[in-house]
Amino acid sequence: MKKNQKVIIVPCSGIGKAYGTVSREAAYDVTDELRPGQTQLVPLALLVMGDEESRAVVAGYPAITIDGCKLACAAKMVQQSGGTIAQEIAVLDVYRRHKDLKPLGIAELNKGGQKLARVLAEEVTSMVDGIITGKPGVENA
Amino acid sequence: MSDFLEITLDKFTFKVATDRFYSSEGVWVKEDKGRIRIGLSDFVQQHSGDVAFADVRPAGTTLAAGEDLANIETIKVNITYTCPVSGKIVEVNPSMNDAPEAINKDPYDAGWLALMEVADWDAERTRLLDPQAYFEIMVGQAEQETKKPS
Repeated sequence: MKKNQKVIIVPCSGIGKAYGTVSREAAYDVTDELRPGQTQLVPLALLVMGDEESRAVVAGYPAITIDGCKLACAAKMVQQSGGTIAQEIAVLDVYRRHKDLKPLGIAELNKGGQKLARVLAEEVTSMVDGIITGKPGVENA
Repeated sequence: MSDFLEITLDKFTFKVATDRFYSSEGVWVKEDKGRIRIGLSDFVQQHSGDVAFADVRPAGTTLAAGEDLANIETIKVNITYTCPVSGKIVEVNPSMNDAPEAINKDPYDAGWLALMEVADWDAERTRLLDPQAYFEIMVGQAEQETKKPS
């Protein structure tokens, strides 16, 4: 697998939905804290609006999409923007593996949602490492 | 393969399979080789959202009509559906344990919930809605929902 310098993280933009908030919290965890130098968050809304700078970034690096529901807007918009999806992950799939972490709340997640976001962030981080090093990361089980 | 009654409202298309009966809350009931297969309608699955977990009463459970059959947790809501008929659960769809999204992907076939033995199907089905009657109720429910702000 080809090595990459940077990975783009595109989370769900589901404003008003707990699962969307989990996806964004996880994306912030990865880009601000866990792998700040190797990742860049691109807001889905900018891709939807056709922002040229965001489209160029997405087109230039492999992306990990984090979707909140089966509509998979993040994955679809990355593809429509000319980007390459290196890996996809869905909040719901992670929640199914961690039933005790039920996300509730929108502007502010409950404890379960915060923990779920962290678990998701750690899975995404593993994917980032796999893409950067050229070794396969965690699959979206 | 089932035929469907269907309606498109806003960007959503809702289908009602014509080869089975329904409760007014959208639980379908279909005779299957002397037993009764039960599941959720297309409108119910679309309205409820992506299923995270489906907790169906276990095989061996005897239920009277109106008793709780299954609790469905989706990304939007947590709903308990009641059993539209009286009988004994003889099998629960194994997919409900590890792939409950079958309810969303294929509500009228692979996404069934439970298989039951019913003592008097002829009597039970008189209390159920035929596809046209449920379709009319469902259209009313769907029209109400599409008028709500998202």
